[in-house]
Order: sequence, then structure tokens, then C-alpha cells
Amino acid sequence: MLGVTDLDVFYGDAQALWDVSMNVDEGEVVAIVGSNGAGKSTFVNAVMGINRARRGSIIFEGVELTNLAGHRTCRQGIAIVPEGRRLFPFLSVQENLDLGAFNREARRHHHESLAWVHELFPRLSERRDQLAGTLSGGEQQMVAIGRALMARPRLLLMDEPSLGLAPVIVDEVFERIERVRAEGVSVVLVEQNVKRALDISARAYVLAEGRIVQQGSAAELAASPEVVAALLGV
Amino acid sequence: MNVLQAGLAGALGGSLFALMALGLSLTWGFLKVINLAHFGLILLGSYLTFELATSTPLGPLNTLLVTIPVLCVLGAAIHLAYERFEVSELSSLLVSYGLLIILVQVVHNIWSADFRRMDASVNPYATRSISLGDLSFPLPTLLAAGFGLVLVVLVGTIINRTYAGRALRAFGQDREIASAFGIDHRLIGVVLAGVAGATAAIAGMLFALRGTITPDAAFEWVGLVFAIVILGGIGNVAGTFYAGLLVGAVSGVVASFWTPSHSPLVVFSMVVLALVFRPEGLFPRRAGRH
Repeated sequence: MLGVTDLDVFYGDAQALWDVSMNVDEGEVVAIVGSNGAGKSTFVNAVMGINRARRGSIIFEGVELTNLAGHRTCRQGIAIVPEGRRLFPFLSVQENLDLGAFNREARRHHHESLAWVHELFPRLSERRDQLAGTLSGGEQQMVAIGRALMARPRLLLMDEPSLGLAPVIVDEVFERIERVRAEGVSVVLVEQNVKRALDISARAYVLAEGRIVQQGSAAELAASPEVVAALLGV
Repeated sequence: MNVLQAGLAGALGGSLFALMALGLSLTWGFLKVINLAHFGLILLGSYLTFELATSTPLGPLNTLLVTIPVLCVLGAAIHLAYERFEVSELSSLLVSYGLLIILVQVVHNIWSADFRRMDASVNPYATRSISLGDLSFPLPTLLAAGFGLVLVVLVGTIINRTYAGRALRAFGQDREIASAFGIDHRLIGVVLAGVAGATAAIAGMLFALRGTITPDAAFEWVGLVFAIVILGGIGNVAGTFYAGLLVGAVSGVVASFWTPSHSPLVVFSMVVLALVFRPEGLFPRRAGRH
């Protein structure tokens, strides 16, 4: 479904990713784990078209994404839950969700999408007229996920969805990720919370200093001594 | 009664500067470009109005049929150039100042540095005023207030009530994420810069309507218009209009009860105080507005 080959990404002259290759199959949750600054966000932002690839290819359902203007990626069926949520803080919850469905195809299904998002996160319908910037962290994360789902993605990129949230809320977020996957949406899950990420993923990649250093099934990686030492801090 | 007359006349005069500020505030607030060339566009609008009204039978108000499209395209083209060279918010101040100087020089070369004014036969508005009891208001400033009100309501409604306006506000708050959800930054930039160009045409026409124009007028507008943009809140459409009325009223009252040369002192003291206490502008943004 998603195939990334030999991806290099730069910030100005500074290279952030080297030769990153990975793939995601239909209906799969794939985790990308690694420490701070390993290039995890850079990677998902490159898939989304927020960062441009200097070299390599990103092919989604047969379409070469590296040739597309950044605002066209979402129309292919990819949406992002960005790191730090990055809601539109001075827009209401409802307006944030509406903008998730900005692209033409998603706009046509606005009604069903909204019903689904409200079913997943009932609190968002209570909070619909509140400014997004005034919500609690957990609620903001729900809006960020809801906004991405409004785009009707077949592939959802989630960048640190548990960051800064209370443990109960983290449970809720991960439970929703599973429900989203159960609806047939593939998920790329970037997480620092490695244990939680591996628990719900089929496969995982380990990024370190901009390179993929390990990959395999989630169970394998969870048992790997290096991963345990490096990431779980045990 | 004198205070009232001075304040109201000043406020109406201020609405012209609010119109000048509107375009600057829009592109600054949403596109993060401080476009000083906007003053060059307004100046060009004034001279085109003068030229067309003098050499054709259009009449000054109808020159907008020509000047709006011309300045709309020019505004959009200048924005595309900023995009092409990836001009940042701060460097735009320098680049657009250079452009302003060029535009002023172009006007200077075509129309010379002499004072120009539309003949009374083509511009019957300049000398007319409307009286209301003891109060009397020059027609050009009333027209400026009218145009200002219509534009502010129109632009404000589009930004705050339409889907496209919502996309624009989202874009102003986080352009990367807005783009990730399919909002085309290039389209938004061109449309908004075009709208700013159109407001420059209207402001230029209204300035020409008041009386004499010189190429250096563009530099004289900069201070006052910046004050209005800051006081109104950058990107705040209605706030810009209120700030224009306020600055105009204060200038008018100070000028008639103290001395005209003290108006800038008072206005810019207001700006300094506003920057200290209300840097987001004097006027509250309605919930949901960028």
C-alpha cells in the first residue's frame, strides 16, 4: 500500500534521513520507534508532503507522492495527526473537523465522517463550539485524530499521539487507534511509548540518527535486547 | 459642538486610512508578508484615477472598472514574486520597501513631481460637503467611510462566515498543517494579494478624490497606516476599520484644539501604549476568528 525506498530528507544542508526504506500493507498498524531526534517526525512529514524528499521515492497505491505538491497528498487518501497536535487554535472544534474534510472527495462524505468521529469521541460533539486552543490536552488529541479521520484516509500517520497525556487518556487513544484500524484504515504509528506502540502494531521499524537500524514483527522487536535496552530504558 | 465636528470629520477622514490599512493588514496577518509596496499600489491607483478621469469621460468613480483589475493583477504578481524568492516576514519589509521606492519613482517619471489634481469639472466631489444640522462633512470622506464600511463588512463576512474564509483562517494559524489537509497555499496567496490590490485601487481613487496628489504622498501614509494596522490588530478586518476611525477622530480633535503637528505625537503614543498593553490590537477578536 505504502512503499518508501531509499528516502533522503534534508533541512537546508543538514541531512535528517538516510536511505530510509519501509512499507505498510493494507489494514496494518506499523510502528516507528526511536529516541528523540531520530527522524521519526521528519519521516511522516515527508510522506505527508510537509517535508520534501531530496532523493528516493514514496509510492502510495501506485502513485508517486514525491512528485505531488504538498497539498495534494491528502487527496490520495493519507492524513496526519501531527506531533504536538497542531490544531487551528482560534477555530472551534467543529471548524477544525470541517477543515479535515477540506479536500473535495472527503467533503462529499462530510456527514458520515462526522457521525463516525462523534461516535468515536462523543466529547467532541459536546465541545463543538469551543475554541480548539482552550481544550485540555486529551481533548485536543481527540480533535487532532478526528480532524485526520474527516479526511477519510486509507492510511493514517500518527505522530506521538500519546505525548503529554495522562495514562487513562493514553489508554483511550490507543483503544481508538485499534477501532480505526478495525475499520480498515492502515496506521503508521510514531511513538516514544515503545511498549504501547509494539502492543498494537503488527510490525515495527527502529530509527536511530536518521537511519533504520532494525525492523521486524512487533513481537520480535519487543523481545530484542537492543530495543529493550535502547528504548525501554530497562 | 466643535469637538463633535472635529472628531466626526476626523473619524470619517480616518476611514480612508483604514481602507489603506485593510490590504496591508490582510497580507500581513494571513500571508506573513509586510508588503510596503501596497502603498505604491495605492499611489498608482490615485494617479491612474487622475489620468483616466482627466483623459476619458469615465468619471472618477467609474475608473475603478479599470483600476481594480489592474491593481488586483499587479498585487497578485508581486505576491508571486515574493513566493518565488521565498521572502520571509522580516525580509519582506526590506524587499517591499525597495519595491515601494521603485513604484514611487515610476509614478514620478510618468507624472512628474508636480502636484496633480482632478479638475473640478471631472471631480465634482472634492468641493461638496453634506451638512447635518451644525455639522458639515466633505463628500470625499463620506464616500471613503461608505466604501470602507461596505468592504469591511464584505471581507469580514467572507473571512468569518464562509468555508473559504475558514480555510484562510486555518492557513493563517498553521500553514503547513493547512496544506497537509489540502489547502493550496499558492491559490490562497494569489487570491488574497489580489483582494489587497483591489482595496488599494479603491483607496487610491478615494485619495485622488480629496484633492492634490504627489508621488511622495505614499511615504506620508506609511506611519499612520502602520499605526492603524497595529491598533486594529494584524489581520483583524473590523478592528482595522475601528482603529482607522479612532486614529482619525483623535487626530482631528488634537489638530483643532491643540495643533495639527501634535496629532502624530498623540497617535504614536497610543501605538506605543497599545504595543505594551494590548499587542494583539485594541479590539477583541470574535470567537473563532484568526
